[in-house]
Amino acid sequence: MKKLLTHISLFLIPIVVVWMLAEVFYRSVPNNYTYKHEQISNNMDDIEVLVLGDSHTFFGINPEWLSLKTYNLSNVSQTIYFDKLLFEKHIDHLPHLKYLIISVEYTTLSQADNTQEDIWRKYFYEAQMDLKVPLITWYDPKKYSLALTRKFDKTFKTFLDYQREGSLIGCDEKGWGNTYLSTVDSLEMAYLSKVVARKHEDGSMDFKKNTERIQNMISFCEQKNIQVLLVNMPVYPDYLDHLNPEKLLKIDETCDDLAKTNPNVTRVDLSRDSRFQLLDFHDADHLNAQGAKKCSLLIDAYLHAY
Amino acid sequence: MLFNTIDFAIFMPIIFLLYWFVFNKNIKIQNLFLLVASYFFYACWDWRFLGLIFLSSLVDYSVGRLLAKTKAKSKRNLLLITSLMVNLGILGFFKYYNFFLESFQEVFLLFGRSLESSTLDILLPVGISFYTFQTLSYTIDVYRERIEPTNNMLSFFAFVSFFPQLVAGPIERASNLLPQFERKRTFDYTKSVDGLRLILLGLFKKMVIADSCALAVNDIFTHYTEYSGSTLFFGAFFFAFQIYGDFSGYSDIAIGSARLLGFDLMQNFNAPYLSRNLGEFWRRWHISLSTWFRDYVYIPLGGNQVSRPKWIRNIFVVFLLSGFWHGANWTFIIWGLIHALFFLPLMFQKTHASFKDVADKGKWFPSFKTTLQIGFTFFIVLLAWVFFRAENITHAFLYLQGMFNFSLFSFPTVSRGLVLFLMVYMVFEWLQRDKKHVLEIDFIASKPIRIAIYYGLAFAIFYFAGDTQPFIYFQF
Repeated sequence: MKKLLTHISLFLIPIVVVWMLAEVFYRSVPNNYTYKHEQISNNMDDIEVLVLGDSHTFFGINPEWLSLKTYNLSNVSQTIYFDKLLFEKHIDHLPHLKYLIISVEYTTLSQADNTQEDIWRKYFYEAQMDLKVPLITWYDPKKYSLALTRKFDKTFKTFLDYQREGSLIGCDEKGWGNTYLSTVDSLEMAYLSKVVARKHEDGSMDFKKNTERIQNMISFCEQKNIQVLLVNMPVYPDYLDHLNPEKLLKIDETCDDLAKTNPNVTRVDLSRDSRFQLLDFHDADHLNAQGAKKCSLLIDAYLHAY
Repeated sequence: MLFNTIDFAIFMPIIFLLYWFVFNKNIKIQNLFLLVASYFFYACWDWRFLGLIFLSSLVDYSVGRLLAKTKAKSKRNLLLITSLMVNLGILGFFKYYNFFLESFQEVFLLFGRSLESSTLDILLPVGISFYTFQTLSYTIDVYRERIEPTNNMLSFFAFVSFFPQLVAGPIERASNLLPQFERKRTFDYTKSVDGLRLILLGLFKKMVIADSCALAVNDIFTHYTEYSGSTLFFGAFFFAFQIYGDFSGYSDIAIGSARLLGFDLMQNFNAPYLSRNLGEFWRRWHISLSTWFRDYVYIPLGGNQVSRPKWIRNIFVVFLLSGFWHGANWTFIIWGLIHALFFLPLMFQKTHASFKDVADKGKWFPSFKTTLQIGFTFFIVLLAWVFFRAENITHAFLYLQGMFNFSLFSFPTVSRGLVLFLMVYMVFEWLQRDKKHVLEIDFIASKPIRIAIYYGLAFAIFYFAGDTQPFIYFQF
């Protein structure tokens, strides 16, 4: 027995060392989660507009082009579940907040809380944005080790990115994702539209839980006299063509219902807005810096129209 | 709790250390510890279904005790029927209720009548088909007086719920596993090292082979109308490796984990894709299930010791039941039917039982004849897998229709790296075909080389693993 335990221990030493190095890496190198948490905590008193949402708003709304003091708290693959947790955490500490922007995209209303693809993110929200995430149980080992949350190849690639770029932060001090600068040609866009639309199809038409979450945020905002902008971000037309029309219609109806039944809600549907052209997109469903400027200025106009 | 998760990587060492260092003084305490650990392992999925395992164990233990006390044929029959009804009743309700109801509704509709009844939202308890068959085998063997009924309730309960093989087999026989619970286990270094190797190999098969194939399979089977015949062929090819890596990987981890605790479980897979005909395939694929059907269905029906029509009937019954065991869907029944149909010619030629030796023993390369035999057998198995994977029969036929046209000879749009990797893995299976598993590498004298191989596999598991997928056989 002693021999076996000795051999196992020796065999595991390099693996444990790599695990510890990965843990130190995740805990010590700033990333979008730590940076956003730091920025919003330092600017609580100034924020007048708060942006929530996933990568569409993260890359698509640049606070720089809004005339009110804005912070973009959205993040890649951020679900309504985390939007609500972030909202609840910060709302009482934002004394000058006038507007809340909530993004509703094709996947927003139907997505499950524990999607396999981005399941690792919840641990980062808890560990690095100081959120209490009910999805994580106390006996979940990943709660205590960020290195365990991601596959090793992803960790290694992140480490290489850090070596190459010198930083893991992909946003500016106002929370805008500033790394999407390029565009693609129409041929590639047609291909991307098909692939991304397929990827986004989760087969679910059950909007109940996520609609309730949005409604809760809206109701809370109403009590605090905060206006809510429900935004459908611009996407490339080919992408829309590949989505399920029935689901799109249901999303449309849900957003309209929320706007009709809540006096503090305005719906802004930019998803089919013809002012956004090929050169404004980074890919099928994300704006680039040029598109983000256009979109942010439009949203600014809507805010002033209130 | 899945074998390929951090949870199990923490659970297993804790169990191992407590088992050998804290609870090793007394066999009863050791068995009680295993029982608690197994129930905890199962409760991690859904504690509500623990009651079913407990009920199944209680019924079969009691039936076994009562069978020991009576010699009267009628009473013995009644006891056996009680066990069958309880176990198959539970299995039937949870697994097949909706299937039968929907099938009846469809039949009634054919005759212009509608059957007013709604399906139930039933959750399938994980591993129910596996532990039900295991506990049934005990009662049947006691009834047949092949084994003595146990009077040790704790051992029996631990035998039924033994966590390494509780949810996806191997489906153990009481004659092999139960006595191991009734005698003192001693730690064996060689056995434990082999157990660890099997765990490593199993994780590699599941996380690298099966999960990598799963990504391609899910895409190709979902969007099969958009792909060429050659791509669909490789979709089926990848599924063949996905299900093999998934299931045999699970079995390897199960056998390895049991070995660490001093138990020997039966081999469940033995390089099935190197089989030279379907008869050999079924002696190498899911061995614990195929031998279960052989011993408890085929032989009681008369096996091959009956007239030819009855023999054919017996073959069909076994294969169709085998398909039905996998799930409440006609696709599984068709899968079984295809195997039965291709098995029949072997039966007529009396070659179904041939190829019990190691193929081309002592040779580095397979002969031309062996290559053809392996290739043909694999092709049939691959065709049948299309039905196994498809959502329904229509889907399967449309998939095959898309596969068998001129586009079958076009260039497939699949990962060449994955195809190459699978071929390389098969080369290793071929080279190790006379061993119990691919990682039986004691013949390599150099210790650094052996350790390098272990690290290579560990690295592959950490680095190349696909997105985590649930074990396919859990749904059965």
